[in-house]
Amino acid sequence: MAETFPINIWINEERFKALQEAGLANLLKEELAGMKVLIVPCNEAQRDKVLKLFPMAKYDAATTKSIELLPKYVKDKIYSMVVAKKSLNVMDEFIAGFEKEGEKFFQ
Amino acid sequence: MEYIGHGNKPLVERVITDKAEAKKKIAGLPQVPASRQMATEAIGIAYGFFSPIQGFMGKADVEATCKKMELADGTVWSIPIVYDISDKEIADYGIKEGMSVLLTYDGNPLAIFDIEEIYTYNKEDMAQDVYGTKEEKHPGVKRTYAYKDKFLGGKITLVNEPKVREPFTPYFLTPRQHRAKFAEKNWQRIVAHQTRNVPHSGHEWLMKHAYIAAHGEMPVEQMESMGKAISGILVNCIVGEKRAGDYIDEAIVLTQDELRKAGYFREDIHMVTMTFWDMRYAGPREAVHHSIIRTNLGLTHHMFGRDHAGVGTYYHSYQAHHLLMSIPKEKLSITPIYVLEWAYCPHCGEVTCIGLCGHWNELQKFSGTKIRSIIMDEVKPTRLIFRPEVFDVVMDCAKKYGFGSPFVGEDYLAKAKPAFTIEPL
Repeated sequence: MAETFPINIWINEERFKALQEAGLANLLKEELAGMKVLIVPCNEAQRDKVLKLFPMAKYDAATTKSIELLPKYVKDKIYSMVVAKKSLNVMDEFIAGFEKEGEKFFQ
Repeated sequence: MEYIGHGNKPLVERVITDKAEAKKKIAGLPQVPASRQMATEAIGIAYGFFSPIQGFMGKADVEATCKKMELADGTVWSIPIVYDISDKEIADYGIKEGMSVLLTYDGNPLAIFDIEEIYTYNKEDMAQDVYGTKEEKHPGVKRTYAYKDKFLGGKITLVNEPKVREPFTPYFLTPRQHRAKFAEKNWQRIVAHQTRNVPHSGHEWLMKHAYIAAHGEMPVEQMESMGKAISGILVNCIVGEKRAGDYIDEAIVLTQDELRKAGYFREDIHMVTMTFWDMRYAGPREAVHHSIIRTNLGLTHHMFGRDHAGVGTYYHSYQAHHLLMSIPKEKLSITPIYVLEWAYCPHCGEVTCIGLCGHWNELQKFSGTKIRSIIMDEVKPTRLIFRPEVFDVVMDCAKKYGFGSPFVGEDYLAKAKPAFTIEPL
């Protein structure tokens, strides 16, 4: 199986309820004493693109092996795309959308 | 009172507190503006945080530090403390060996610098020796390469003490003030927790682990009969140059203090202070430097966890432990407390030491990055992982000091007030 470089989106109670109602709670993993996290996979090319488009983010190679420090509004957008598509496979669409529309993509 | 600092040498304090005397001493001296980095280190030297050094290092000390991890006199020393300067500045200010200059900061007098030596040093060699790499993406190496071409060595005397702004004011203590505070508390053993982090419960357990280890064979009864603890934990926060994504300094200091205020540590066992120091991320060598600073503060023990002061994948998880263990006990008078990670075990239903728990495949490890990610997402973590009172302070600090974020961003870097200022004399 190819290595993935995920983005972790942490889920509060409100979002957890919404995901349950949408039948998407199965997409969540439990970590750190019951916290819910949506793990959105990226391949290597997607990871590199995300890090280039959002220079404040970093790939944590040492501990979590995930893309971290993405601003909340970016993760909010990814979350809403996952919910709309009912799939974790959203990163190509996300990257294309941001490349096309820039900051307007988040409005 | 004479205190003994690192290397069993008297604690340095080179500060003129009498303003009239200070004015007299600096009269007529050529003025040289110091950068924030250099001003920070001049203050550290003068108060004795870096005892036994009394000034910026000369070439022999730098060479011995780099090559042998000691000063020229054989005292253990791991990180060069240097004053860099360009040829143009040397010419413009007429700097010569044997003269004294007045370092200024923000246009105000800071310290007398007795220039004993002007020298060059190969920066690539310095980087390789101190950081174990020449790669510029290592932040310590980057800082080394950014040094100007010459270095000045010589003694420093502070003539104008820094004014530390709120909310940091009560947390800044000099080494002498630390020692006076410990005496007041009657602490006989004090263990350092080095931090540049907002605490999650993994950190909290590391501190508890280190406290119990440091308290060691001392009697509990004595502690109880006196009604006050005789061992303590000093959380000494590093306040200095920030990188994007770091926690803001205000959040670090105030959340660490909140752990005691909210009762996770007894009032008489826990104390928070700060030290001005720009992290070099030198991993094992920085661990040695932290030991030196905390020895000078008067601490007896120092906790070292996983990847102490490391960055990226330059050092292996417990490399700092190995380096510290290689130093003869008589050369480093603080006792290291080596601790393993603490993690959440869903099987045990508690936070546990990975060296004790047998459910290896189930452990959910704490990661500072992961916790930052949770906070960035504005999700309140479970209390077993992150104390709710600490979370509230983090969010409060974001509003009050962080331009909406508890993490260093462009706004904080550009607009945050410096932690200290130098006022007119």
